[in-house]
Amino acid sequence: MNPMIRKELRQRMRERRGWLLPSLYLLVLGAVVTFAYFLATTDRGQSNVQGATVGVVLFLTLAYSQLALLLLLVPIFSAGSITIEKEQRTLAGLLTSLLTSAQIWWGKFVSSLLFVLLLLVTSLPVLSMAFAFGGIGPWEIFSATMTTVIILGCMSAIGLYCSSAFQRSVHATAVSYATVIAISIVTAIAFFVRLSIYESAHHPTTHGWYDIPLNIRAPMYVNPFFFLTSSFAPPKQLYPAWITCAGVFIALGSLAVVLTLRNLRRRGDW
Amino acid sequence: MIDVEQIRKSFNGRRALDGFTLHVGAGELFGLVGPNGAGKTTLMKTLSTLLPIDSGTAQIGGLSVTTHAREVKRLIGYLPDQPGVYQDMSVREFLEFFADAFQLTGARNRAAVGRALERSGLVERSCDAVEQLSFGMKQRLVLAKTLLHDPKVLLLDEPATGLDPIARIELREQLKRLQAEGITILISSHILSDLEDICTQIALIGEGRNATDAEGHSVIQVRAPQTRVRIYEIELLGGTVSAVNILNSVAGTRLLESGADRLVVEIAGVDEQVAALLRVLVAGGVDVLRFDHRALGLEERYRLAFQGRRP
Repeated sequence: MNPMIRKELRQRMRERRGWLLPSLYLLVLGAVVTFAYFLATTDRGQSNVQGATVGVVLFLTLAYSQLALLLLLVPIFSAGSITIEKEQRTLAGLLTSLLTSAQIWWGKFVSSLLFVLLLLVTSLPVLSMAFAFGGIGPWEIFSATMTTVIILGCMSAIGLYCSSAFQRSVHATAVSYATVIAISIVTAIAFFVRLSIYESAHHPTTHGWYDIPLNIRAPMYVNPFFFLTSSFAPPKQLYPAWITCAGVFIALGSLAVVLTLRNLRRRGDW
Repeated sequence: MIDVEQIRKSFNGRRALDGFTLHVGAGELFGLVGPNGAGKTTLMKTLSTLLPIDSGTAQIGGLSVTTHAREVKRLIGYLPDQPGVYQDMSVREFLEFFADAFQLTGARNRAAVGRALERSGLVERSCDAVEQLSFGMKQRLVLAKTLLHDPKVLLLDEPATGLDPIARIELREQLKRLQAEGITILISSHILSDLEDICTQIALIGEGRNATDAEGHSVIQVRAPQTRVRIYEIELLGGTVSAVNILNSVAGTRLLESGADRLVVEIAGVDEQVAALLRVLVAGGVDVLRFDHRALGLEERYRLAFQGRRP
């Protein structure tokens, strides 16, 4: 086993946030799902609410809120990962050992991703509630989970890149959060502004997603919530939206990996 | 064992190393001194494979630090100027992690960790968290970690910084023991008396280049007899001003210090020149109480080499 993974996991689980964050995460998620349940059942105010409808509402609420929460947590685990070695002056010791830059990166990546995946797994009981109501099948759960994992992997890689590029954890974390905001909110704002300009200039308005010109749609392929939305399509309709998003996220993550390794190989410049 | 030839390294256009050359033989305890910003740490980082060089060659054990970085890492143990520790690990965990990082597995790992604990004198603290150790203990722990994989060459960048006198003495003794075991040691330090005590040779570095002392040596043989330049301490019974005037008029003589009834003079040349100076002083009416030869210590040589050149 890569000694970096063992070291990172050991240190992570000893931190107070090792138990505090999963507890808070489940608490928030539980509250959101409970709120969604009451909305789903009381909005209609009748007793003839379909279980399947409740199941779908719970599932969608859970999937989106889980993604939002995890996007907020990823920078905490990844962006400080390499900068902490610089701050406590232990990076030189790692780089002059026989550990390769790739091993150091992999250890940091796996440990930060594993912790986020642990949070994802802890939410399974909440997810199973939605499953029990019906309306969603194993495919939806599988594709939503896979999509979330791809997004988190990409964001962890970007967080690690920030961590390798900056000297201080606070700067790396700030830039990681800025990236999360840019891809989650700025892309959506850019899309809706450009769409409304386009629609006001072209009548009649667009009818479907693919009626919108690609240059207007493009920012949404970097948007994690759109990526998640595209995963709810049936398996045969995953192309082109989901596949394009997956390609974009994997490409972004890979670029971040290459740049991080380059930064680590520049070694003593810090 | 360490061969550096015309090495150059720049940071954003600023030359940190500018054609520095160094040769350290196997088993030597070699010192490196120079003012702040002279390039000592850059040289250490270069030799420890942390920094790529712009030009020149740097080899350890005949292996280039740029093209054979991995093999060089097996040979060296590098102690940076401000070494870090994982505060939340126990002493044993810290050593075990670095033993793993040096690919020591199973029995070799356990043996290396046991040896490191004994070497650092931390056997009884092995289960304590690193953060509970004193600064000196942490320094011993980091040095023990540096020795885990039995390196043939030790690169120590300011290892005595922040240590109390007892810890410094212990460090000096440990370095002497390591040298006796056959390990080649390159050590940079500002504590010249420590270097003078333990080193066989000391290289001078200034502005990234080989600096020279007053005798033109870029490498000082610590215990070698001094030749061309001698320092004399002269005690007077008044008449300091006229003594200074006389000294300034004698060729090959330079006034280093001037106090109340006390002068320190550098005399370049043969014994006859020393005798001639004394004769001139007495003939000039200066009452000389004492005229002593003072061995040129490392501190004096350092001062002569770098005086007026500090950044």
